Amino acid sequence: MSAGATHSAAPPAVRARRSRPPAALVAWFGLLLLIFIVGLVAWGYQMRYGLSVTALDNVVMWGQYILFFMFFVGLSAGGLIVASAGRLFGVARFRPIVRLAVLEATVAIMLAALFLLPDIGRSERVWHLFRYPNLTSPMIWDIAIVTIYFSLSAVYTWLYTRADLARAGSPIALGTSPSERSAARDDRIKGRLAWVALPAAVLLHSITAWIFGLQISRGFWYSALMAPLFVSSALVSGLALVILLALVLRRLRRLEFDDGLVAYLGGLLGVFIAVEAFFVLCETLTAAYPGAAFESEPMRRLLTGPYLWFFAFEIVVGLLIPFLMLARRRLRESVGVVALACSFAIVGIYVHRLNIVLNGLSYPLMDLPPGVAGGDYAPISSSFVTSYFYVPSLVEWLIVGGVLAFGGLVFTIATLVLPLREGDAPH
Amino acid sequence: MPDPVSPVDALPPASRAYGEIGARSDAPRWGMVVDQERCVGCWSCAVICKSENDIPLGMWWNRILSEGEALDTPARVAGREELHWLPLACQHCDNAPCVKVCPVGATYRRADGVVMMDNERCIGCRYCMIACPYGVRVFNWGAPDRPTDFDTGMVVARPVGTVEKCLLCVHRITDGQIPSCVWSCPEGARVFGDLDDPTSRIATLIRDREGTRLLEDRGTEPKVYYLSPRRRRPL
Repeated sequence: MSAGATHSAAPPAVRARRSRPPAALVAWFGLLLLIFIVGLVAWGYQMRYGLSVTALDNVVMWGQYILFFMFFVGLSAGGLIVASAGRLFGVARFRPIVRLAVLEATVAIMLAALFLLPDIGRSERVWHLFRYPNLTSPMIWDIAIVTIYFSLSAVYTWLYTRADLARAGSPIALGTSPSERSAARDDRIKGRLAWVALPAAVLLHSITAWIFGLQISRGFWYSALMAPLFVSSALVSGLALVILLALVLRRLRRLEFDDGLVAYLGGLLGVFIAVEAFFVLCETLTAAYPGAAFESEPMRRLLTGPYLWFFAFEIVVGLLIPFLMLARRRLRESVGVVALACSFAIVGIYVHRLNIVLNGLSYPLMDLPPGVAGGDYAPISSSFVTSYFYVPSLVEWLIVGGVLAFGGLVFTIATLVLPLREGDAPH
Repeated sequence: MPDPVSPVDALPPASRAYGEIGARSDAPRWGMVVDQERCVGCWSCAVICKSENDIPLGMWWNRILSEGEALDTPARVAGREELHWLPLACQHCDNAPCVKVCPVGATYRRADGVVMMDNERCIGCRYCMIACPYGVRVFNWGAPDRPTDFDTGMVVARPVGTVEKCLLCVHRITDGQIPSCVWSCPEGARVFGDLDDPTSRIATLIRDREGTRLLEDRGTEPKVYYLSPRRRRPL
């Protein structure tokens, strides 16, 4: 019952490893810390000189930071879907990875929120969002649902690991007991939370979609399909990331499950990819078919213009190839194939979001010469812009890297502190 | 809500001498008419706007679009080359998308219909720029570039990292003066006035010349009306 008892039960090899962290782990922490610090310095530089150090301008005013915000909102889907679908629909097979999944959701949604900080021009005024909220703004709805979703994920993570933490005498158990009765109560709470968590997860992606989908300014975005499309792309990227992380942690001997689960999840991912492909087809065909002025310019850019290769990548590498890899039972029974398909799907969803945001923004509204004032003063040449192909600047990449490294640090520490396997003692 | 943009000082006499609004109702709804028949694309209004409002280089609140392929080039209309311009600034929509989406209420519609900006509250998220169907908002990306080392404007300069746009020279309206782009137009192509007053010159012009608004199908209810040319201007 006491922590001491658990310790003496552990085999000597484990105890030896515990006393001195392995070199690989130290190197991993060092690398993440370095990237994180570089990112912080880059953010300081951006705070000093303004967003002019990014590649954004008055045509493409949202770029890499918002893309990663949307991307990580989507990635966070995996966790609560695995957790609450497992509970509501009784899919017991998810059990070995459910703790990992809710932890992934917590870290991903935290990163999504962090990506908003460098995006806003005056990061020090972020408290205005809570002091002067304008309730008609989808951005305020989004901040509310992100907060709710983060809290739910954190509570889930704690509920799933609490009993094992208490058994090991960890302070994170917050003084709760590992008794049978408290475990039964945990189960009841989890069951009730699932009824909130699944709608919250659907709303999270819908509201993020409505930030774009409710805007009359751009026909390319103004579509009722936007919310379902965001939910489906979140399902794809979220599940793919959970599978990848589970495979990595299994290799590091922090998780145990058989290859059957990988094939099962791979098949599920294949279904999600098919739904996503169907929505992308509906959206693209509806926008392209009439050739109407409201949509024709962004569709031209997507289907024949500067974003053609990105669109082709999304369709072929992001949807078609991973679907074919996962559709055949023989193929998805190979762990390597599933892992590769997951990687393709994740990158594909990133490019999918890029095609929505950047392509939708890449030309001025009221498309007449001389265009929009870009925002930079350029002697001799014109400061007006009629078309803009946005490529993120180095500073943007460094800041994105810093946030990602921070997420890596938090996630790694969490996997060390929290028992990811049932009955595990924390390290 | 108090107006965050107030005159730096009382307007200097030279500026005051132009364009008294004159008698006005207790509840005006300010709007503007742009006569495309009169506009010759001289950019006077765009330039005085920059000086009046201390707008840094590389940024414009008001610009003159050409209806042709490139700047100041004619467009082919019914087999003939015609030269027309479309002066474009904030349309001061009654159903303004920017006002709806601003997460902190930094952009809002005043009782007299002017869509305002509070640059002390703006967090710089640029959602208003995303939402505006006219693309008239500009962002302060970095330290301002100015041709002079002193401020030229009649209003306070906006901080880096916030969004700005045409405020219909609200500092002048408060002082009983018409906006500077209106009085400075050499062709008299701009008319400012109360849209709710049926006897006003602006209301009469909109009625008689069948004034139209940009992107009316989007339902933004802009308060800038355009009068299309009756005389074609063939080349």
